[in-house]
Amino acid sequence: MLFNSIDFIFFLPIVFFLYWSLVKKLKFQNLLLLISSYVFYGWWDYRFLALILTSTLVDYCVGIQLNRSSNKAIKKKWLLLSVIFNIGVLGFFKYYNFFIETFTSLILSLGFSIHSSWTLNIILPVGISFYTFQTLSYTIDIYNEKIKPTKNFIGFAAFVSFFPQLVAGPIERASNLLPQILNSRKYTYQNLSNGIKLTIFGFFLKLVIADRAAIYVNAVYNNIENHDGLSFLVATLFFSFQIYGDFAGYSLIAIGVAKMFGIDLMTNFNRPYFAASIGEFWQRWHISLSTWFRDYVYIPLGGNRTKKWRWLFNLFITFLISGLWHGANWTFVIWGALNGIYLIIEALFKKRNKRGLLSIFVTFILINFAWIFFRADNIDNAFKIITKIFTKPGNLYIGSGDDITASLYTVLAISILLIIEVKKEFFNGLFSISNNRIEFVRLIGYSCLIFIILYLGVFGESQFIYFQF
Amino acid sequence: MKSEIKLTILKLLKFIIVLMIIDFGLGFIAKEVFFSQKTGKFHRTTYAIKKSKDDILIFGSSHAHRHYVPEVVERQLSLSCYNAGAEGQQLLFHRALQKMIFKRITPKIIILNIDENFLFKSDIAFERLSDLHPYYSDYKSELHPILRLNSSMIDFKMLFKSYQTNSTLVHVIKYYLKPQQDYKGYRPLFDETTANKIESLEKREPLKEYEEVIDDIFVNTLVDFIEEAQAKKIKVVFVTSPNLILRDITKNESLLKIKEIAKSKEVIFIDFLNSPNYLNKYNLFHDASHLNDKGAKLFTSSVSKIIKSSI
Repeated sequence: MLFNSIDFIFFLPIVFFLYWSLVKKLKFQNLLLLISSYVFYGWWDYRFLALILTSTLVDYCVGIQLNRSSNKAIKKKWLLLSVIFNIGVLGFFKYYNFFIETFTSLILSLGFSIHSSWTLNIILPVGISFYTFQTLSYTIDIYNEKIKPTKNFIGFAAFVSFFPQLVAGPIERASNLLPQILNSRKYTYQNLSNGIKLTIFGFFLKLVIADRAAIYVNAVYNNIENHDGLSFLVATLFFSFQIYGDFAGYSLIAIGVAKMFGIDLMTNFNRPYFAASIGEFWQRWHISLSTWFRDYVYIPLGGNRTKKWRWLFNLFITFLISGLWHGANWTFVIWGALNGIYLIIEALFKKRNKRGLLSIFVTFILINFAWIFFRADNIDNAFKIITKIFTKPGNLYIGSGDDITASLYTVLAISILLIIEVKKEFFNGLFSISNNRIEFVRLIGYSCLIFIILYLGVFGESQFIYFQF
Repeated sequence: MKSEIKLTILKLLKFIIVLMIIDFGLGFIAKEVFFSQKTGKFHRTTYAIKKSKDDILIFGSSHAHRHYVPEVVERQLSLSCYNAGAEGQQLLFHRALQKMIFKRITPKIIILNIDENFLFKSDIAFERLSDLHPYYSDYKSELHPILRLNSSMIDFKMLFKSYQTNSTLVHVIKYYLKPQQDYKGYRPLFDETTANKIESLEKREPLKEYEEVIDDIFVNTLVDFIEEAQAKKIKVVFVTSPNLILRDITKNESLLKIKEIAKSKEVIFIDFLNSPNYLNKYNLFHDASHLNDKGAKLFTSSVSKIIKSSI
């Protein structure tokens, strides 16, 4: 089920009403959360519910076994089972064909002949990258004795499949989300109000920014041969706002909806394009994933408490894996590697983290350059685009049928976003609408934001980009 | 808990009331601004729906909009004419426009410029129906069956006044700052194309806006278009516009189906697609598929003569 669908408009109030009417019975409340999460997910494809359920069962059992044994070797075996199962499932559904195709190409490029019919017609289960990482963090944290396992299966299953963040995060840690699910929640008007506010802003990001920018971006990126460098420059710039609007929008809706149910999810985006360095960018972009990789890949590899070359290697490897996590395509691997290289250069040459407009601008440009690989369909196309940008500026595509209006809407939408974000980033102490003491100002402010969504938004019920990851 | 619920109901009510007032107020202003346009595509559509009293109406996509000169039609047929062609639009839009116009007037003749791929599956044909949203509140019964095809959420979305004029603001500003002149709906193209231009364009991958499978929705729409006009005793004429370059359209299933429907419904079908009078005449074309003003006048004159001889 999509957040921006008619189904969700009916689904949310029904679940919300039932949920709070069961407030005195936590067991039933969690059971309802679980059922509604499965309905939410099954709306897309009910067959893959079995996969979530299996993943839940495996990690639930592994969690208990890890706690039962005090023998380090046995514990390690149980953890290995969880890691192999989760990474195995993810690897099969997401990367099987990718690795087979890569292997076949490699063999062919070496001059051997191979007639491969090993690729399979595999459907990528929505959200698999997110929930496998979430359950993995649960077993790893138990192994590291950071948390205790739960015996409450319904509660644990609700933690794994909690519908607001099931398909595109934020990737929650058991230490944050699980206790909230296992302990009783209290209904407050404040939670509902804050949840609605976040949800409205999330829809603004998705419908007004992301889906609007997507029109130009898709027109250019889907017809590489027909466009020149200048158009790719603009399309890439628009894409940076599209992906931000899309993913930060989804995260805000998820956080907002969770808040309505009395559950606090972690912040996932913090105005990333105001970062003054690549390192800072990754502290502001997809925070739940960055911290996941920090805690479960980078630090176990040795982090920065090791020799310099090893530290830089750890950085690079972490971002390489992060790139691969985003998709089974070499474009994502290069995107991850590029970010790793940026960070290595930054670590080697940058003395101090000086925040200034120039460093914000340079960071933004570097991130934009990396987005070319993220958006392009394949590496060939990415390099074609880069070549065109640098060698053949040509004509600027302004819109279908030379009609500039569609592109102007994107500029208008991005301008509105920038005004809001610049104000929040640099002038936060000034007049605030969302936190104004006068209720009437807040009401008018949010009503106007809804007006902007309805007046300028794109209502095509399009999927969120991160569903594919 | 009870006090929190009370508080919630009270606050939600306040929010809904303010939201309704804002939506109504700003939505009303947005609608007024929309209908105050004096030029541009929305102005032409509004004129066709709400003001035109012409005997002959021309429907179709950019080929209709750019190829039919009402002044020429009026001179040759001694009947008033308005070009209601809409760039980028396809059958569903033309049918919706026809329904809204028929609510007010009954023209004598309607000309539908046929694009040969009209009946092929096309998502864009549905997506572009959003141009009809501003007319929804005035023409709900006419538009609802058509807009529902594009979005199951249409009833919900249209509850909001501000959504009805969604994505129209930039158009309004654009045409206010730079009025777009037309001649009874016709907008001429003045440049002449050349063989070199066509050749360089041909090297580029064509943008395909359709899938070569007949869509029953479009077939039924075309049949409805004819039947409603004929029920009102309006003469329906189908015309195909000329090509610059000869194309093999003998196996185009969409066109074959359109011809079959036209024949069964006794609709006059004027076929200029591969007319030798236009093939390779670069001086008559603006680009490979659009006539320039010179070509449009010649074409309109030829079509008018045929219509005159057949009515």
